[in-house]
Amino acid sequence: MALLDVSGISVSYGRVNALKDVSLQVKEGEIVTVLGANGAGKSTLLKAILGAVPLKSGGITFADRDVTRAQPHKRIAEGLVLVPEGRRILISLTVEENLKLGAHMRRDGTAIAGEMDAIYARFPNLAERRNMLASCLSGGEQQMLAIGRAMMAKPRLMMLDEPSLGLSPLFVQKLFELIVELNRDGLAVLLVEQNTGKALSVAHRATVLELGRVTMAGDPKTLADDPRLQAAYLGAGEATPA
Amino acid sequence: MRGSMLAQQIVNGLMLGAIYMLMAVAFTLAIGVLNFLNFSLPGLFMLGGMVAYGFIKFGWPTLFAFAAALAVAALVSLLVERFAYRPMQGGDPEVPLVSSLGFLVLLENLMLIYFGSDQQAFPALVPDLNLRLGGLVIGIAQLGSLALSVLLVLWLSWFLSSTSTGRCIRTVAENRDTAVLMGIDTGRLVPMLFIASALLAAVAGLLFAVNYQQVSPFMGEGVGFKGVAAMIVGGMGSIWGAVLGGLLIGLAEVLSISFIGADVVNITVYGLLLVILILRPQGLLGRPATREKL
Repeated sequence: MALLDVSGISVSYGRVNALKDVSLQVKEGEIVTVLGANGAGKSTLLKAILGAVPLKSGGITFADRDVTRAQPHKRIAEGLVLVPEGRRILISLTVEENLKLGAHMRRDGTAIAGEMDAIYARFPNLAERRNMLASCLSGGEQQMLAIGRAMMAKPRLMMLDEPSLGLSPLFVQKLFELIVELNRDGLAVLLVEQNTGKALSVAHRATVLELGRVTMAGDPKTLADDPRLQAAYLGAGEATPA
Repeated sequence: MRGSMLAQQIVNGLMLGAIYMLMAVAFTLAIGVLNFLNFSLPGLFMLGGMVAYGFIKFGWPTLFAFAAALAVAALVSLLVERFAYRPMQGGDPEVPLVSSLGFLVLLENLMLIYFGSDQQAFPALVPDLNLRLGGLVIGIAQLGSLALSVLLVLWLSWFLSSTSTGRCIRTVAENRDTAVLMGIDTGRLVPMLFIASALLAAVAGLLFAVNYQQVSPFMGEGVGFKGVAAMIVGGMGSIWGAVLGGLLIGLAEVLSISFIGADVVNITVYGLLLVILILRPQGLLGRPATREKL
Protein backbone atom coordinates (compact mmCIF):
# COMPACT_ATOMS: atom_id res chain seq x y z
CA MET A 1 0.00 0.00 0.00
CA ALA A 2 1.35 3.35 -0.98
CA LEU A 3 1.76 6.09 1.61
CA LEU A 4 -0.16 8.48 -0.62
CA ASP A 5 -2.63 7.21 -3.17
CA VAL A 6 -4.30 9.76 -5.41
CA SER A 7 -6.81 8.06 -7.63
CA GLY A 8 -8.52 9.72 -10.54
CA ILE A 9 -8.98 13.19 -9.07
CA SER A 10 -10.50 16.07 -11.02
CA VAL A 11 -10.58 19.71 -9.98
CA SER A 12 -12.23 22.60 -11.73
CA TYR A 13 -12.18 26.34 -11.14
CA GLY A 14 -15.55 27.42 -12.43
CA ARG A 15 -15.73 26.07 -15.97
CA VAL A 16 -12.01 25.56 -16.29
CA ASN A 17 -10.86 22.01 -15.66
CA ALA A 18 -7.57 22.30 -13.80
CA LEU A 19 -7.07 18.58 -13.21
CA LYS A 20 -8.63 15.72 -15.13
CA ASP A 21 -8.56 12.20 -13.76
CA VAL A 22 -5.09 12.45 -12.24
CA SER A 23 -3.69 9.42 -10.43
CA LEU A 24 -0.42 9.27 -8.57
CA GLN A 25 1.22 7.27 -5.81
CA VAL A 26 4.02 7.99 -3.38
CA LYS A 27 5.42 5.06 -1.42
CA GLU A 28 7.27 5.21 1.88
CA GLY A 29 10.80 6.50 1.42
CA GLU A 30 10.25 7.66 -2.15
CA ILE A 31 10.89 10.91 -3.97
CA VAL A 32 8.30 11.41 -6.67
CA THR A 33 8.48 14.43 -8.92
CA VAL A 34 5.69 16.05 -10.87
CA LEU A 35 6.83 17.95 -13.95
CA GLY A 36 4.96 20.15 -16.33
CA ALA A 37 4.78 23.59 -17.86
CA ASN A 38 3.22 26.63 -16.20
CA GLY A 39 -0.51 26.12 -15.88
CA ALA A 40 -0.29 22.35 -16.20
CA GLY A 41 -2.00 22.02 -12.83
CA LYS A 42 0.98 21.09 -10.67
CA SER A 43 0.24 23.53 -7.84
CA THR A 44 -3.45 22.69 -8.01
CA LEU A 45 -2.54 19.01 -7.63
CA LEU A 46 -0.58 19.67 -4.43
CA LYS A 47 -3.31 21.91 -3.02
CA ALA A 48 -5.91 19.27 -3.84
CA ILE A 49 -3.85 16.62 -2.08
CA LEU A 50 -3.67 18.93 0.96
CA GLY A 51 -7.40 19.57 0.78
CA ALA A 52 -7.16 23.30 0.13
CA VAL A 53 -9.11 23.07 -3.15
CA PRO A 54 -12.23 20.91 -3.47
CA LEU A 55 -12.27 17.79 -5.64
CA LYS A 56 -14.90 17.31 -8.30
CA SER A 57 -14.30 13.58 -8.35
CA GLY A 58 -11.76 10.98 -7.32
CA GLY A 59 -10.31 10.00 -3.98
CA ILE A 60 -7.18 10.38 -1.86
CA THR A 61 -5.88 8.01 0.77
CA PHE A 62 -2.94 8.82 3.01
CA ALA A 63 -1.34 6.33 5.40
CA ASP A 64 -4.17 3.87 4.79
CA ARG A 65 -6.85 6.39 5.63
CA ASP A 66 -9.33 7.90 3.25
CA VAL A 67 -8.72 11.64 3.54
CA THR A 68 -10.78 12.65 0.51
CA ARG A 69 -13.12 14.73 2.64
CA ALA A 70 -10.72 15.69 5.44
CA GLN A 71 -9.94 19.35 6.10
CA PRO A 72 -6.33 20.47 5.46
CA HIS A 73 -5.55 20.73 9.18
CA LYS A 74 -6.54 17.07 9.67
CA ARG A 75 -4.30 15.95 6.82
CA ILE A 76 -1.38 18.02 8.10
CA ALA A 77 -1.83 16.51 11.56
CA GLU A 78 -1.49 13.09 9.88
CA GLY A 79 1.86 14.14 8.44
CA LEU A 80 0.85 15.28 4.95
CA VAL A 81 2.60 18.64 4.76
CA LEU A 82 3.04 21.26 2.03
CA VAL A 83 5.88 23.70 1.46
CA PRO A 84 3.89 26.13 -0.67
CA GLU A 85 4.88 27.88 -3.85
CA GLY A 86 6.57 31.20 -3.14
CA ARG A 87 7.51 29.89 0.33
CA ARG A 88 4.76 31.87 2.07
CA ILE A 89 6.88 32.88 5.01
CA LEU A 90 4.95 35.01 7.51
CA ILE A 91 6.88 38.27 7.38
CA SER A 92 5.21 39.79 10.44
CA LEU A 93 6.44 36.85 12.53
CA THR A 94 9.99 36.18 13.66
CA VAL A 95 12.03 33.30 12.26
CA GLU A 96 11.42 31.28 15.41
CA GLU A 97 7.70 32.06 15.39
CA ASN A 98 7.52 30.80 11.81
CA LEU A 99 9.10 27.54 12.93
CA LYS A 100 6.79 27.24 15.92
CA LEU A 101 3.85 27.90 13.65
CA GLY A 102 4.70 24.72 11.78
CA ALA A 103 4.14 22.75 15.00
CA HIS A 104 0.96 24.52 16.02
CA MET A 105 -1.22 21.42 15.92
CA ARG A 106 1.18 19.35 18.01
CA ARG A 107 0.99 18.99 21.78
CA ASP A 108 4.27 17.15 22.43
CA GLY A 109 6.20 20.20 23.68
CA THR A 110 9.55 18.60 24.51
CA ALA A 111 9.80 16.78 21.18
CA ILE A 112 9.01 20.06 19.42
CA ALA A 113 11.83 21.85 21.23
CA GLY A 114 14.24 19.07 20.29
CA GLU A 115 13.28 19.22 16.64
CA MET A 116 13.65 22.97 16.59
CA ASP A 117 17.21 22.59 17.89
CA ALA A 118 17.88 20.03 15.16
CA ILE A 119 16.57 22.46 12.54
CA TYR A 120 18.77 25.23 13.90
CA ALA A 121 21.75 22.87 13.82
CA ARG A 122 20.96 22.10 10.18
CA PHE A 123 20.43 25.76 9.26
CA PRO A 124 22.85 27.91 11.29
CA ASN A 125 21.73 31.01 9.37
CA LEU A 126 18.24 30.61 10.79
CA ALA A 127 19.61 30.08 14.31
CA GLU A 128 21.52 33.36 14.09
CA ARG A 129 18.41 35.26 13.05
CA ARG A 130 15.89 33.40 15.17
CA ASN A 131 14.53 36.51 16.87
CA MET A 132 14.48 38.70 13.78
CA LEU A 133 11.46 39.20 11.57
CA ALA A 134 11.39 36.64 8.79
CA SER A 135 11.17 39.47 6.25
CA CYS A 136 14.90 40.12 6.73
CA LEU A 137 15.92 36.71 5.37
CA SER A 138 17.26 36.23 1.85
CA GLY A 139 15.26 34.17 -0.63
CA GLY A 140 17.37 31.08 -0.02
CA GLU A 141 17.10 31.45 3.73
CA GLN A 142 13.35 31.89 3.41
CA GLN A 143 13.17 28.61 1.50
CA MET A 144 15.14 26.91 4.26
CA LEU A 145 12.76 28.43 6.79
CA ALA A 146 9.76 27.19 4.81
CA ILE A 147 11.20 23.67 4.78
CA GLY A 148 12.13 23.92 8.47
CA ARG A 149 8.61 25.05 9.24
CA ALA A 150 7.20 22.06 7.35
CA MET A 151 9.57 19.75 9.26
CA MET A 152 8.16 21.11 12.53
CA ALA A 153 4.82 19.56 11.58
CA LYS A 154 6.42 16.10 11.82
CA PRO A 155 5.77 15.19 8.18
CA ARG A 156 5.61 11.68 6.78
CA LEU A 157 5.24 13.09 3.29
CA MET A 158 6.55 16.53 2.37
CA MET A 159 5.12 18.16 -0.73
CA LEU A 160 7.33 20.89 -2.16
CA ASP A 161 5.92 23.32 -4.71
CA GLU A 162 8.63 24.85 -6.91
CA PRO A 163 11.17 25.13 -4.09
CA SER A 164 14.03 26.19 -6.38
CA LEU A 165 12.13 29.12 -7.87
CA GLY A 166 14.12 32.34 -7.64
CA LEU A 167 17.11 30.80 -5.88
CA SER A 168 20.75 31.26 -6.84
CA PRO A 169 22.43 28.20 -8.40
CA LEU A 170 24.36 27.66 -5.19
CA PHE A 171 21.17 27.54 -3.14
CA VAL A 172 19.48 25.30 -5.70
CA GLN A 173 22.36 22.87 -5.25
CA LYS A 174 22.00 23.05 -1.45
CA LEU A 175 18.25 22.64 -1.70
CA PHE A 176 18.44 19.44 -3.70
CA GLU A 177 21.12 18.07 -1.37
CA LEU A 178 18.77 18.81 1.51
CA ILE A 179 15.85 17.05 -0.17
CA VAL A 180 17.98 13.95 -0.76
CA GLU A 181 19.22 14.09 2.84
CA LEU A 182 15.72 14.36 4.30
CA ASN A 183 14.61 11.52 2.08
CA ARG A 184 17.51 9.37 3.24
CA ASP A 185 16.32 9.99 6.82
CA GLY A 186 13.01 8.40 5.84
CA LEU A 187 10.89 11.28 4.59
CA ALA A 188 8.76 10.64 1.51
CA VAL A 189 8.79 13.60 -0.91
CA LEU A 190 6.43 14.79 -3.60
CA LEU A 191 8.33 17.41 -5.56
CA VAL A 192 6.87 19.81 -8.09
CA GLU A 193 9.64 21.48 -10.07
CA GLN A 194 10.39 23.62 -13.07
CA ASN A 195 14.01 22.59 -12.81
CA THR A 196 13.30 19.37 -14.66
CA GLY A 197 16.87 18.10 -14.91
CA LYS A 198 17.55 18.49 -11.20
CA ALA A 199 14.20 17.01 -10.23
CA LEU A 200 14.69 13.94 -12.43
CA SER A 201 18.17 13.42 -11.02
CA VAL A 202 16.91 13.03 -7.44
CA ALA A 203 13.53 11.37 -8.04
CA HIS A 204 12.72 7.69 -7.84
CA ARG A 205 9.69 8.13 -10.06
CA ALA A 206 8.30 10.95 -12.13
CA THR A 207 4.94 12.05 -13.50
CA VAL A 208 4.38 14.59 -16.24
CA LEU A 209 1.28 16.77 -16.27
CA GLU A 210 0.05 18.58 -19.35
CA LEU A 211 -3.07 20.72 -19.24
CA GLY A 212 -4.28 18.91 -16.14
CA ARG A 213 -3.75 15.38 -17.41
CA VAL A 214 -1.02 12.84 -16.72
CA THR A 215 0.73 12.30 -20.05
CA MET A 216 3.78 10.36 -18.94
CA ALA A 217 4.79 8.55 -15.80
CA GLY A 218 7.53 6.20 -14.77
CA ASP A 219 11.22 5.87 -14.20
CA PRO A 220 13.01 9.24 -14.24
CA LYS A 221 15.96 7.93 -16.27
CA THR A 222 13.67 6.63 -18.97
CA LEU A 223 11.74 9.88 -18.94
CA ALA A 224 14.91 11.94 -19.07
CA ASP A 225 15.77 10.16 -22.32
CA ASP A 226 12.30 10.52 -23.75
CA PRO A 227 12.53 12.83 -26.76
CA ARG A 228 9.18 14.46 -26.03
CA LEU A 229 10.22 15.44 -22.51
CA GLN A 230 13.63 16.52 -23.73
CA ALA A 231 12.07 18.74 -26.32
CA ALA A 232 9.54 20.28 -23.97
CA TYR A 233 11.47 20.73 -20.73
CA LEU A 234 15.11 19.85 -21.03
CA GLY A 235 15.92 22.21 -23.85
CA ALA A 236 17.34 19.48 -26.07
CA GLY A 237 16.37 19.02 -29.69
CA GLU A 238 13.75 21.11 -31.43
CA ALA A 239 11.58 23.18 -29.12
CA THR A 240 8.42 21.94 -30.74
CA PRO A 241 5.41 20.84 -28.75
CA ALA A 242 5.35 17.11 -28.22
CA MET B 1 -7.22 73.94 43.39
CA ARG B 2 -6.87 74.29 39.68
CA GLY B 3 -4.15 71.65 39.63
CA SER B 4 -6.14 69.13 41.58
CA MET B 5 -9.11 69.68 39.31
CA LEU B 6 -6.94 68.95 36.32
CA ALA B 7 -5.67 65.79 37.98
CA GLN B 8 -9.24 64.79 38.75
CA GLN B 9 -10.29 65.29 35.15
CA ILE B 10 -7.33 63.28 33.96
CA VAL B 11 -8.46 60.38 36.12
CA ASN B 12 -12.00 60.70 34.77
CA GLY B 13 -10.68 60.93 31.23
CA LEU B 14 -8.59 57.81 31.63
CA MET B 15 -11.64 55.94 32.89
CA LEU B 16 -13.73 56.96 29.90
CA GLY B 17 -10.69 56.29 27.72
CA ALA B 18 -10.42 52.77 29.10
CA ILE B 19 -13.91 52.05 27.79
CA TYR B 20 -13.06 53.49 24.37
CA MET B 21 -9.86 51.49 24.50
CA LEU B 22 -11.70 48.19 24.98
CA MET B 23 -14.01 49.04 22.10
CA ALA B 24 -11.08 50.06 19.92
CA VAL B 25 -9.28 46.81 20.70
CA ALA B 26 -12.45 44.86 19.87
CA PHE B 27 -12.64 46.62 16.49
CA THR B 28 -8.91 46.10 15.99
CA LEU B 29 -9.25 42.33 16.45
CA ALA B 30 -12.06 42.25 13.92
CA ILE B 31 -10.42 44.42 11.31
CA GLY B 32 -6.80 43.46 11.93
CA VAL B 33 -7.36 39.72 11.72
CA LEU B 34 -10.58 39.30 9.75
CA ASN B 35 -10.49 42.51 7.71
CA PHE B 36 -14.03 43.09 8.87
CA LEU B 37 -15.29 46.42 10.22
CA ASN B 38 -17.79 44.78 12.55
CA PHE B 39 -20.52 47.32 13.25
CA SER B 40 -22.41 44.91 15.48
CA LEU B 41 -19.81 45.59 18.20
CA PRO B 42 -21.56 48.73 19.50
CA GLY B 43 -24.68 46.55 19.75
CA LEU B 44 -22.75 43.98 21.77
CA PHE B 45 -21.44 46.80 24.00
CA MET B 46 -25.05 47.79 24.58
CA LEU B 47 -26.04 44.17 25.27
CA GLY B 48 -23.33 44.02 27.93
CA GLY B 49 -25.01 46.83 29.82
CA MET B 50 -28.67 46.21 28.98
CA VAL B 51 -28.77 42.44 29.51
CA ALA B 52 -26.99 42.81 32.85
CA TYR B 53 -29.51 45.52 33.77
CA GLY B 54 -32.41 43.28 32.74
CA PHE B 55 -31.27 40.30 34.78
CA ILE B 56 -30.47 42.43 37.84
CA LYS B 57 -33.96 43.90 37.63
CA PHE B 58 -35.23 40.36 37.28
CA GLY B 59 -33.67 39.60 40.66
CA TRP B 60 -30.53 37.70 39.64
CA PRO B 61 -27.37 38.08 41.72
CA THR B 62 -25.12 40.71 40.18
CA LEU B 63 -22.31 38.40 39.14
CA PHE B 64 -24.73 35.97 37.47
CA ALA B 65 -26.31 38.87 35.64
CA PHE B 66 -22.87 39.97 34.43
CA ALA B 67 -21.99 36.46 33.31
CA ALA B 68 -25.32 36.18 31.50
CA ALA B 69 -24.71 39.48 29.73
CA LEU B 70 -21.30 38.33 28.53
CA ALA B 71 -22.72 34.99 27.42
CA VAL B 72 -25.55 36.66 25.49
CA ALA B 73 -23.08 38.99 23.76
CA ALA B 74 -20.87 36.03 22.82
CA LEU B 75 -23.82 34.07 21.44
CA VAL B 76 -25.10 37.01 19.42
CA SER B 77 -21.61 37.51 18.05
CA LEU B 78 -21.61 33.90 16.84
CA LEU B 79 -24.88 34.66 15.05
CA VAL B 80 -23.25 37.69 13.43
CA GLU B 81 -20.39 35.46 12.30
CA ARG B 82 -22.78 32.86 10.95
CA PHE B 83 -25.24 35.15 9.19
CA ALA B 84 -23.43 38.40 8.46
CA TYR B 85 -19.82 37.37 7.98
CA ARG B 86 -19.49 33.77 6.82
CA PRO B 87 -21.93 33.83 3.88
CA MET B 88 -20.17 36.91 2.45
CA GLN B 89 -16.70 35.36 2.31
CA GLY B 90 -15.03 35.82 -1.01
CA GLY B 91 -17.22 38.81 -1.82
CA ASP B 92 -16.80 42.51 -1.21
CA PRO B 93 -15.61 43.35 2.31
CA GLU B 94 -18.28 46.08 2.44
CA VAL B 95 -21.11 43.56 2.37
CA PRO B 96 -20.57 42.09 5.86
CA LEU B 97 -19.99 45.64 7.11
CA VAL B 98 -23.50 46.56 6.05
CA SER B 99 -25.07 43.35 7.31
CA SER B 100 -23.34 43.79 10.69
CA LEU B 101 -24.79 47.30 10.79
CA GLY B 102 -28.13 45.57 10.27
CA PHE B 103 -27.46 43.53 13.40
CA LEU B 104 -26.77 46.74 15.35
CA VAL B 105 -30.13 48.20 14.32
CA LEU B 106 -31.86 44.92 15.07
CA LEU B 107 -30.35 44.59 18.54
CA GLU B 108 -31.14 48.21 19.39
CA ASN B 109 -34.73 47.84 18.37
CA LEU B 110 -35.23 44.53 20.16
CA MET B 111 -34.06 46.25 23.34
CA LEU B 112 -36.25 49.23 22.51
CA ILE B 113 -39.33 47.00 22.34
CA TYR B 114 -38.47 45.38 25.62
CA PHE B 115 -37.18 48.27 27.72
CA GLY B 116 -38.37 51.40 25.93
CA SER B 117 -36.14 54.13 24.62
CA ASP B 118 -35.51 55.93 27.92
CA GLN B 119 -32.27 55.88 29.82
CA GLN B 120 -32.58 53.31 32.59
CA ALA B 121 -30.86 53.81 35.91
CA PHE B 122 -28.30 51.07 36.45
CA PRO B 123 -28.11 50.24 40.17
CA ALA B 124 -25.04 51.42 42.08
CA LEU B 125 -23.25 48.16 42.77
CA VAL B 126 -19.98 49.25 44.20
CA PRO B 127 -20.27 51.05 47.54
CA ASP B 128 -19.48 54.70 47.12
CA LEU B 129 -15.99 54.35 48.49
CA ASN B 130 -13.44 56.85 47.36
CA LEU B 131 -9.74 57.04 47.64
CA ARG B 132 -8.63 60.50 48.62
CA LEU B 133 -5.16 61.43 47.61
CA GLY B 134 -4.55 65.07 48.38
CA GLY B 135 -7.36 66.87 46.65
CA LEU B 136 -7.94 63.96 44.33
CA VAL B 137 -11.02 61.76 44.62
CA ILE B 138 -10.84 58.40 42.89
CA GLY B 139 -13.85 56.10 42.99
CA ILE B 140 -13.20 52.45 43.75
CA ALA B 141 -15.36 51.43 40.80
CA GLN B 142 -13.37 53.77 38.57
CA LEU B 143 -10.08 52.41 39.72
CA GLY B 144 -11.22 48.80 39.46
CA SER B 145 -12.58 49.32 35.95
CA LEU B 146 -9.41 50.99 34.79
CA ALA B 147 -7.30 48.17 36.25
CA LEU B 148 -9.53 45.50 34.72
CA SER B 149 -9.40 47.11 31.27
CA VAL B 150 -5.64 47.44 31.34
CA LEU B 151 -5.19 43.86 32.57
CA LEU B 152 -7.51 42.57 29.87
CA VAL B 153 -5.55 44.31 27.13
CA LEU B 154 -2.20 43.26 28.60
CA TRP B 155 -3.40 39.66 28.74
CA LEU B 156 -4.66 39.81 25.16
CA SER B 157 -1.39 41.25 23.97
CA TRP B 158 0.54 38.50 25.79
CA PHE B 159 -1.80 35.87 24.37
CA LEU B 160 -1.29 37.08 20.80
CA SER B 161 2.47 37.36 21.09
CA SER B 162 3.31 34.29 23.14
CA THR B 163 0.88 31.43 22.62
CA SER B 164 0.46 29.00 19.78
CA THR B 165 -3.11 30.14 19.18
CA GLY B 166 -1.85 33.73 19.18
CA ARG B 167 0.65 32.90 16.44
CA CYS B 168 -2.12 31.25 14.45
CA ILE B 169 -4.25 34.39 14.81
CA ARG B 170 -1.38 36.58 13.60
CA THR B 171 -0.90 34.21 10.68
CA VAL B 172 -4.55 34.56 9.70
CA ALA B 173 -4.12 38.32 10.05
CA GLU B 174 -1.16 38.38 7.68
CA ASN B 175 -2.50 35.98 5.09
CA ARG B 176 -5.59 33.85 5.34
CA ASP B 177 -4.69 31.57 2.42
CA THR B 178 -1.30 30.81 3.90
CA ALA B 179 -2.99 30.06 7.22
CA VAL B 180 -5.07 27.37 5.53
CA LEU B 181 -1.99 25.86 3.86
CA MET B 182 -0.32 25.81 7.29
CA GLY B 183 -3.19 23.73 8.64
CA ILE B 184 -4.83 26.42 10.70
CA ASP B 185 -8.45 25.53 11.28
CA THR B 186 -10.04 28.85 10.35
CA GLY B 187 -13.48 27.32 10.82
CA ARG B 188 -12.71 27.15 14.53
CA LEU B 189 -10.45 30.18 14.88
CA VAL B 190 -12.75 32.74 13.26
CA PRO B 191 -15.74 32.11 15.59
CA MET B 192 -13.29 32.28 18.52
CA LEU B 193 -12.24 35.73 17.38
CA PHE B 194 -15.85 36.82 17.16
CA ILE B 195 -16.36 35.67 20.73
CA ALA B 196 -13.20 37.44 21.90
CA SER B 197 -14.15 40.76 20.33
CA ALA B 198 -17.73 40.40 21.62
CA LEU B 199 -16.46 39.86 25.15
CA LEU B 200 -14.25 42.94 24.94
CA ALA B 201 -17.20 45.03 23.77
CA ALA B 202 -19.58 43.58 26.37
CA VAL B 203 -17.08 44.11 29.20
CA ALA B 204 -16.77 47.71 28.05
CA GLY B 205 -20.57 48.00 28.16
CA LEU B 206 -20.69 46.52 31.65
CA LEU B 207 -18.01 48.89 32.90
CA PHE B 208 -19.87 51.80 31.33
CA ALA B 209 -23.08 50.77 33.08
CA VAL B 210 -21.39 50.29 36.44
CA ASN B 211 -19.48 53.57 36.29
CA TYR B 212 -22.03 55.91 34.79
CA GLN B 213 -25.05 54.10 36.25
CA GLN B 214 -27.17 54.39 33.18
CA VAL B 215 -28.06 52.18 30.25
CA SER B 216 -30.18 52.62 27.14
CA PRO B 217 -30.75 50.74 23.88
CA PHE B 218 -28.64 53.33 22.05
CA MET B 219 -25.75 53.57 24.47
CA GLY B 220 -23.47 51.71 22.03
CA GLU B 221 -23.56 54.21 19.20
CA GLY B 222 -21.56 57.10 20.61
CA VAL B 223 -19.06 54.85 22.33
CA GLY B 224 -18.83 52.54 19.33
CA PHE B 225 -17.98 55.30 16.91
CA LYS B 226 -15.42 56.73 19.30
CA GLY B 227 -13.98 53.23 19.47
CA VAL B 228 -13.62 53.17 15.68
CA ALA B 229 -12.08 56.64 15.78
CA ALA B 230 -9.68 55.50 18.50
CA MET B 231 -8.63 52.52 16.41
CA ILE B 232 -8.00 54.68 13.35
CA VAL B 233 -6.09 57.37 15.21
CA GLY B 234 -4.03 54.76 17.01
CA GLY B 235 -3.16 52.99 13.77
CA MET B 236 -5.35 50.30 12.26
CA GLY B 237 -4.48 46.80 13.32
CA SER B 238 -2.22 47.80 16.19
CA ILE B 239 -3.49 46.87 19.65
CA TRP B 240 -1.25 49.37 21.40
CA GLY B 241 -2.40 51.97 18.91
CA ALA B 242 -5.99 51.21 19.92
CA VAL B 243 -5.00 51.59 23.58
CA LEU B 244 -3.33 54.93 22.93
CA GLY B 245 -6.17 56.15 20.72
CA GLY B 246 -8.82 55.17 23.26
CA LEU B 247 -7.11 56.84 26.20
CA LEU B 248 -6.40 59.94 24.12
CA ILE B 249 -10.01 60.34 23.06
CA GLY B 250 -11.25 59.78 26.61
CA LEU B 251 -8.88 62.40 27.94
CA ALA B 252 -9.64 64.88 25.17
CA GLU B 253 -13.35 64.48 25.73
CA VAL B 254 -13.33 64.91 29.49
CA LEU B 255 -10.82 67.76 29.45
CA SER B 256 -12.63 69.67 26.74
CA ILE B 257 -15.95 69.29 28.57
CA SER B 258 -14.53 70.65 31.79
CA PHE B 259 -12.26 73.36 30.40
CA ILE B 260 -13.93 74.48 27.20
CA GLY B 261 -17.52 73.44 27.49
CA ALA B 262 -19.81 70.54 26.76
CA ASP B 263 -21.25 72.23 23.64
CA VAL B 264 -18.03 71.99 21.70
CA VAL B 265 -16.86 68.58 22.83
CA ASN B 266 -17.33 66.88 19.48
CA ILE B 267 -15.62 69.73 17.68
CA THR B 268 -12.55 69.57 19.89
CA VAL B 269 -12.33 65.76 20.01
CA TYR B 270 -12.84 65.13 16.32
CA GLY B 271 -10.82 68.23 15.46
CA LEU B 272 -7.91 66.76 17.39
CA LEU B 273 -8.30 63.46 15.58
CA LEU B 274 -8.37 65.23 12.26
CA VAL B 275 -5.14 67.07 13.06
CA ILE B 276 -3.45 63.84 14.11
CA LEU B 277 -4.50 62.10 10.92
CA ILE B 278 -3.31 64.99 8.77
CA LEU B 279 0.09 64.83 10.46
CA ARG B 280 0.26 61.01 10.63
CA PRO B 281 -2.12 59.42 8.13
CA GLN B 282 -1.14 55.89 9.25
CA GLY B 283 -2.19 56.69 12.83
CA LEU B 284 -0.05 57.12 15.92
CA LEU B 285 1.42 53.62 16.05
CA GLY B 286 0.40 52.40 12.61
CA ARG B 287 3.07 51.30 10.21
CA PRO B 288 3.00 52.54 6.66
CA ALA B 289 1.37 49.94 4.44
CA THR B 290 3.58 46.86 4.57
CA ARG B 291 5.57 45.98 1.52
CA GLU B 292 4.09 43.23 -0.60
CA LYS B 293 6.30 40.20 -0.43
CA LEU B 294 7.42 38.55 -3.61
